[in-house]
Amino acid sequence: MTAPTTAAPATRHVPAAQPPPRPPTYRKVSLRARFKRDRSLIIMTLPAVLLLAVFAYVPMAGNIIAWQDYSPYVGILDSAFIAWDNFGRVLTSPAFLHAVQNTLVITAFQLVFFFPIPIALALLLHSVLTPAIRTTIQSIIYLPHFFSWVLVVTVFQQMFGGAGLVNQILSQNGWGSFDLMTNPDTFLLLITSQSVWKDAGWGIIIFLAALSTVDPALYEASVVDGASRWRRMWHITLPALRPVIILLLILRLGDSLTVGFEQLILQRGAVGAQVSEVIDTFVYYQGVINGDWGFATAAGLMKGVISLLLVLGANKLAHLFGEAGVYKKAGT
Amino acid sequence: MVSIPRTPRAGGQSRRTFLTFLGAGVIGSAALAGCRTEGGGGGGDPTTPAGAVADDLLPAYVPLDYVEPDFPSVNGSTAGFATIPAELVQAFDAPPGSGSTFTAMTPLWGAIPPSTGNQYYEAVNAAIGSTIDFQISDGNTYGDKLAAVLASADDVPDWVCIPTWNIPPRFDQAVESLFEDLTPFLAGEAVNDYPHLANIATDVWKFCVFNGKLKALPFPGEIITDALFYRDDVFEEEGITELPTDAQGLLELCAELTNGERWAANDLWNAAILIHGVVPKWRIEDDGTLTHRIETEEYRAALEWNTALFEQGSVHPDAVADNSGDAKARFEAGQVLLSTDGVGGWHEALARQLSGNPTYSQRPFAPIAADGGTPVLWKGNPANILSFIKATDDKEKVAEMLEVANFLAAPFGTEEYALVNYGVEGVHFDYDGDGLPVATDLATTELQPTYIFLADPPVVNAKVQYPGFVEAFCTWMADASQYVQDPAFFGMQITEPNQFGSLNQPIEDLEKDIARGRKSINDLDAAIETWRSSGGEELRQYYQDILDAQ
Repeated sequence: MTAPTTAAPATRHVPAAQPPPRPPTYRKVSLRARFKRDRSLIIMTLPAVLLLAVFAYVPMAGNIIAWQDYSPYVGILDSAFIAWDNFGRVLTSPAFLHAVQNTLVITAFQLVFFFPIPIALALLLHSVLTPAIRTTIQSIIYLPHFFSWVLVVTVFQQMFGGAGLVNQILSQNGWGSFDLMTNPDTFLLLITSQSVWKDAGWGIIIFLAALSTVDPALYEASVVDGASRWRRMWHITLPALRPVIILLLILRLGDSLTVGFEQLILQRGAVGAQVSEVIDTFVYYQGVINGDWGFATAAGLMKGVISLLLVLGANKLAHLFGEAGVYKKAGT
Repeated sequence: MVSIPRTPRAGGQSRRTFLTFLGAGVIGSAALAGCRTEGGGGGGDPTTPAGAVADDLLPAYVPLDYVEPDFPSVNGSTAGFATIPAELVQAFDAPPGSGSTFTAMTPLWGAIPPSTGNQYYEAVNAAIGSTIDFQISDGNTYGDKLAAVLASADDVPDWVCIPTWNIPPRFDQAVESLFEDLTPFLAGEAVNDYPHLANIATDVWKFCVFNGKLKALPFPGEIITDALFYRDDVFEEEGITELPTDAQGLLELCAELTNGERWAANDLWNAAILIHGVVPKWRIEDDGTLTHRIETEEYRAALEWNTALFEQGSVHPDAVADNSGDAKARFEAGQVLLSTDGVGGWHEALARQLSGNPTYSQRPFAPIAADGGTPVLWKGNPANILSFIKATDDKEKVAEMLEVANFLAAPFGTEEYALVNYGVEGVHFDYDGDGLPVATDLATTELQPTYIFLADPPVVNAKVQYPGFVEAFCTWMADASQYVQDPAFFGMQITEPNQFGSLNQPIEDLEKDIARGRKSINDLDAAIETWRSSGGEELRQYYQDILDAQ
């Protein structure tokens, strides 16, 4: 990732009188010289690498239990090795496939109805010019992000549940009642509105940061050219946001199979497993509750593999559209 | 001879009750002894880990009687004491512990008491001579927490309380590697070093045997574990005097109690099971074959009844949303007037409510049968809650913990029992004019069931601090005990192989789905078929083998 940028200056300053420019010279630099040159950078990344190694890469070795009839009381060393049995069971398990289906439905729905909301909010907020009003609104919509899911679900239950505030007012006035919290048909809507209420405010931070980097001179110039508000947004603001939007979209795809474990497990009883069982809750029930650890790990591992493929695919797609995406290979 | 079990299985958590564990002891110990000698041959059979409990494993039974009960046991019902003896016996001259600190994990169905500056903890710790550092978890989700804690050996506390309905899968392995074998300390005459533990009956100890070793300390249970409670104070206020005598009558009462502001009930699934007499797990047919509970007509009828209850709108919306954690709060606040609970939940509610609401009262319904005929209640295990000591090389530490257990198992009539159950005089209770302890406000926050889950004397009801409670409780149970029958495999502790661990979840989900109208009763047939094909038949064979070996 860093190679092209460090190599670039070497080619740029070739004097004009010289023979045609040679190919990039970075291949010629010996490994030792490169270490020496990048020493301070390497030292700076070391803590992060260590952190990743200890908390991400070493625990990954534990995935070995996906190939075992693992029992935590016996240990990894003494659990029986059963090759691909667990994976076979996962792939033929109707319950797992149903959980995958639910996960994909939820993720697709939220991609359409949740993802654009922080962008719209950021644009709206950006157009508010009075700083006092802007920070007040910002603080208010950030706040729910710091609530735990238990609180969010409780607040929704108290507001929209069958015995909640809204229903009390409705029934006191004789307008009938509804129960949003226990209706499996509207569950998608419910969890998406919970996510929006909790996290949309938090999601605007990055977009606001991107907006603040737009050169005001561009707006001034376009106003002079007679561009309307909509034109300015279409030709200046949105293009400025585009790389960030694509980056976040790719990252979002990477987590797309992670759709809110706590949120769903808390409401599982209210709407039933039929609509609320996703891969994460499936893994939890099979592993921790039913004690089928190897099977659950195999299911979790497959989720990881699918997520990785999604990120790689989305990144590739971004490149096709001429965007930077999450990363680029050296030399491309 | 003290205290009563808390088996508060409110709607939501009953789902794990029949997970891996089954059993109880036939009440006549002569009959039991007969079984055991005959079963001796079968006991060597590796396919029957359950029935075989060698006599030499079990602690000798040396009953202690400090005081005679005012309400004697009827058919095995819980005996009760209405008064406290003027002179309490001091069973220990000096604190038995030697100053160590132990961590202990226990469940609690209520607000978790403060751990620092808690005068109840301080007083009991001083009296036992060891410090017990409690890690208390919400009883409604205790099984989930437990499964995670046990999977990580380093996180297992010194002393772990495990309710039988929360026993996790693969427990036969867990018990082997995680917990101390108490056989050398307690088997046979060895128990005489701990006289209060020797005061616990042999049937109860049978439940503490895993893999042929004595592994746990029991919290002795009652023959009736669950009941449907109603708020008799509110009933009286509203002039409701006629109580239903069949399932239809109960539905009508629920419809009557529900208005726009209040609902009749929490999720009454457990009540549906009670009034329909659904078997705990298996029914032995006349030809000797086994029928699983979900295959029985009673189970189907219970589901239909519960569905009707939901359909007529009698269930509180939060209970419809499956919030079982607040079930007791809704009942005690009068938002609902009917709720199922473990019988131990009764006095716990009184402890929470009486200080703020002196007229608070709840009562259990006398057993009713769905068709108005003779009710059937299935006998509860002699022990519903067990406590395990973490395996250690330090045998003196184990001995010290057993000394502490011996202290905690001191029966009614001793100063030790009074301290553990009523707290400190002048701090947690004061004696009233009749010589009965009256709980203070501080007791409501500090004195929660904690030590009792580690070791407890044989079950009696001596909750004299709640006026009229002991009499109401003991007469109710004495009456109900006439309907108690032994379920199949009663007197056995059976740990199912892990492969059957995932059979229950779909059924538990279905029970909720059908009741809430998300699926129809017709889906039950398909679910039973799936259950059979995905391991149910093998499970039946597993139990059939145990049955045949008897």
